[in-house]
Amino acid sequence: MAVIGGGKGSAGYAAPSMEGRTPSSARREIAGAGRTRASAPPYPYTRRMPPRYCVFHADRAAFAVCMSCAKTLCQECATQWDGIWHCAACLATKRGAVKRESHAAGWIFVTVASLLCLFLSAKFMVWSGALLAGLR
Amino acid sequence: MIRAPLSTTSVLDEAADSVRTVASPWAAVLILTSLPYRFAQVVFTERLLRLGADASRYVNYLSFLATLSMFAFVLSRWGRLVFARAVRLAIENGESPGREAWHIKPAVFLNYLYMSAFTELVSIATMVTCLASVCCTMLAGLAIGTAELNDHPSIVAPFRSVAKYRKTFRIVIALMLVFGCALAVAAINVGVAFGIGLWLAKSIQGWDAARWTLLLDSNNRRFMLVIIAGAVIAVEPFWIAAHVTFVRKTGAEQTGDDLRAWFEELRDA
Repeated sequence: MAVIGGGKGSAGYAAPSMEGRTPSSARREIAGAGRTRASAPPYPYTRRMPPRYCVFHADRAAFAVCMSCAKTLCQECATQWDGIWHCAACLATKRGAVKRESHAAGWIFVTVASLLCLFLSAKFMVWSGALLAGLR
Repeated sequence: MIRAPLSTTSVLDEAADSVRTVASPWAAVLILTSLPYRFAQVVFTERLLRLGADASRYVNYLSFLATLSMFAFVLSRWGRLVFARAVRLAIENGESPGREAWHIKPAVFLNYLYMSAFTELVSIATMVTCLASVCCTMLAGLAIGTAELNDHPSIVAPFRSVAKYRKTFRIVIALMLVFGCALAVAAINVGVAFGIGLWLAKSIQGWDAARWTLLLDSNNRRFMLVIIAGAVIAVEPFWIAAHVTFVRKTGAEQTGDDLRAWFEELRDA
């Protein structure tokens, strides 16, 4: 493994042994070791993102991103529905769409069922009536 | 308005009070909307009995009468719903409701129409077995009682609403027995009322009493059917009010409204 400081060489650290390692993995190890000790960011390959704030509350840090309109939201503005974060406006739109859909289906089904029951009632009135009248 | 624990007698007492409160004008609305359906039923049954064994040869004519009766059925269900709403508002406010009793939600009406058409269908299809018709009448009672609870159109929701009252079903059976007896008493009263009317009319000079005596005779099948229809119309407001009260009281017991009302009464005393 890499030895930090005091060794031979211009980089200030000893070159690691290459036994059992591919050149690329060894390079990553060297780079990681060097940065860890040289006051570099702890996660060398992630870029530091600029701080983001809630679009509705400028003083609050962003907590989630709305999956529909991609707005950043604070904890108060974000609502999880079905495992997905939404802002209030998008959630209302989605709920409205779901409600309208289910009600329309309900109206159609119940109307058809009512008409069917009424039609069959009229038919059964005649059939049962004729049967009973014939039995007299 | 919830004054006593849930029981058959308390339901009947409070239903009678509610009918008295809403009688004018909501009982009239119920009777006026029920009349076409009851008369259509009388005409259909009378024609059927007259045709007898030949009824199967007049299927088109009978189908026409049955279809007319189904149109009248829809009107009568609307009238029932208006009356049930008036009773419910009277139970809540303690006074006869105003125009708000007319405001029936379309979804509520559709759900109730579906439920009552279903019970009507089962009732007619199982007419031969009297017991099934009695069960359908009980189901129809619960349907009108729970009608306003179903404010979204749904195939299953009206049945679910009715099924909630299975634990207190003995009260529904008791109500059915009471209203069965009430129907018989009402039929006798309607018959006697016609008899008294005929007897009084005989005193009018120039009035064809002989003809009316024949028409209003107990041997006249049409007159007997009219008496039965009249009895049903007379009992119907109480039957609806009883079921609305029953549902209301059961709901109050579940939500604790009855306890709240009782505490308020104690505090006032």
